[in-house]
Amino acid sequence: MSLKLEKFEEFTEALEFIDDEDMRFEYIIDIGKRAKAVEFPIDWQVNENLMHGCMSRVWIVDQPKGGRHYFRGDSDAIIVKGLVTMMTESFSGLTGEELDELDAEYVRRLNLGALTTQRQVGMLAMMEHLKKLGRNGSANGGN
Amino acid sequence: MMNSSQLTPISVGDNSTAAFDVERVRRDFPILAQTVYGKPLVFLDSGASAQKPRVVIDAMRECYETYYANVHRGAHYLSQRSTDAFEEARVTVARFINAGSENEVVFTSSVTESINLVAATWGRKFLGPGDEVIVTEMEHHANIVPWQMLAQEKGIVLRVMPITDQGEFRIEDFEPLLNPRTKLVAITECSNVLGTMVPVKQVIRLAHDKGVPVLLDGAQGIVHHGVDVQDLDVDFYAFTGHKLYGPSGVGVLYGKWDILNTMPPYQGGGDMIERVSFAGTTFKPPPHRFEAGTPPIAQVIGLGAAIKYVSGLGMDQISAHEQGLTAYATDRLKSVAGLKIYGEAAEKAAIFSFTVDGTHPFDIAAILDRAGVAVRVGQHCAEPLMDRLGIDGTVRASFGLYNTRAEVDTLVAAIEKAKGMLT
Repeated sequence: MSLKLEKFEEFTEALEFIDDEDMRFEYIIDIGKRAKAVEFPIDWQVNENLMHGCMSRVWIVDQPKGGRHYFRGDSDAIIVKGLVTMMTESFSGLTGEELDELDAEYVRRLNLGALTTQRQVGMLAMMEHLKKLGRNGSANGGN
Repeated sequence: MMNSSQLTPISVGDNSTAAFDVERVRRDFPILAQTVYGKPLVFLDSGASAQKPRVVIDAMRECYETYYANVHRGAHYLSQRSTDAFEEARVTVARFINAGSENEVVFTSSVTESINLVAATWGRKFLGPGDEVIVTEMEHHANIVPWQMLAQEKGIVLRVMPITDQGEFRIEDFEPLLNPRTKLVAITECSNVLGTMVPVKQVIRLAHDKGVPVLLDGAQGIVHHGVDVQDLDVDFYAFTGHKLYGPSGVGVLYGKWDILNTMPPYQGGGDMIERVSFAGTTFKPPPHRFEAGTPPIAQVIGLGAAIKYVSGLGMDQISAHEQGLTAYATDRLKSVAGLKIYGEAAEKAAIFSFTVDGTHPFDIAAILDRAGVAVRVGQHCAEPLMDRLGIDGTVRASFGLYNTRAEVDTLVAAIEKAKGMLT
């Protein structure tokens, strides 16, 4: 946990502050709703950006710039949109090497009991996907 | 030659006058008396797998604690007791479905295995290129993929019967599909997504008029209404233990003995042979011919206990209780603005697939979960049906004998709450 991650800290502090599990759940939904307001272009919703094995569809694109990775994510389910947004916003701006340092502890801190095991597994899969994109170092979404 | 004993049906059609006391019934299911996330559990996922009454749990525990041993070949006391209990369960199943003989009851691991068994033995032996198997648009994958595999291997053709937009099975859409190339009708008795009950008696009569045998996927149907295989005159009937309040890991294939006896073995191994030598092996008659290896002993015994339990309640009583729930849930769910129910056939089991405008099924199910309401979400192993309906998935609330009207109210309130949170 040595990386300096501003958005990640913001999310985890908020989640720690909320002491009711249902309220944490609503917080994640609100993140999803907020993220929905920002367009995720329809031409990014293609198979090559689709994460496989999720209960709802999840797309993640990488827009690397100056050796750092900037992610955008989307889902047709609002809760998953909230989760993928927490992941992409938390871990954007990292290099491929820094992304490789991420481990399950980060997902645990973003979870805080608001998620079922199944969804935690989904978030771990998202994290692995970000790391894979970081290793590929290629842009498949935009500029 | 049918090797049968005369069986007396047990209380499938029990017209007990005692009212169905759902609160008393609920006390038979230990798992229901709990809270999740601090809320009372409302279990509406029995269509996926039902909960188990204490008598089933006790029967399996008693087996393991007092008389468990491998069946059929042991020369000792425990093996004899296990064998007796195992074969008694076969008789219990046979009576429950009103089979002509317990020798028409093959134990498998699941409906999936039961259908695969028919496809791999009867299908391989009797079907060839151009032969047609009729299925419907609302089949579970378990009654699609085995026939597709046979199509790849043998060149058979799958004919798919359409359903209506309301999810109805219309006999007038079925009849024209029967033709001289039709060699099997393999359809669900009750859709696991729509709840649609198929008029199987009519289907069987029409098929038999053309000399075509019928296989029914009874996974959902038997749970809600029981079955009388002789009255239906069905050729194969597949069902599973875990949806019938019994354990997982055990399924049943009923087959008419004269048909089973023409079928080659499914898997080779122990328990299904008469004599093995390197010069050649001879096989046992049905049903043991199809039960290679050690069977799921305690699960079979648990299934027997489950059948005695539901028979004791009376399938007529269970069915009447669930029909009341179906009518009530239909009304209540229709009162939710923006909620669309998939499957509105007149003859419908207590299974409700739905979507809510402007929301994703996953989100609804996740919020219902937080309210203690357990439902299923997704495509329900019926992708072709989802394509037919033009949707990615649904939320599915499926009711069992232990569900109540109050739980319908909890479901509806939780859906309204979810709508408020998501839109």
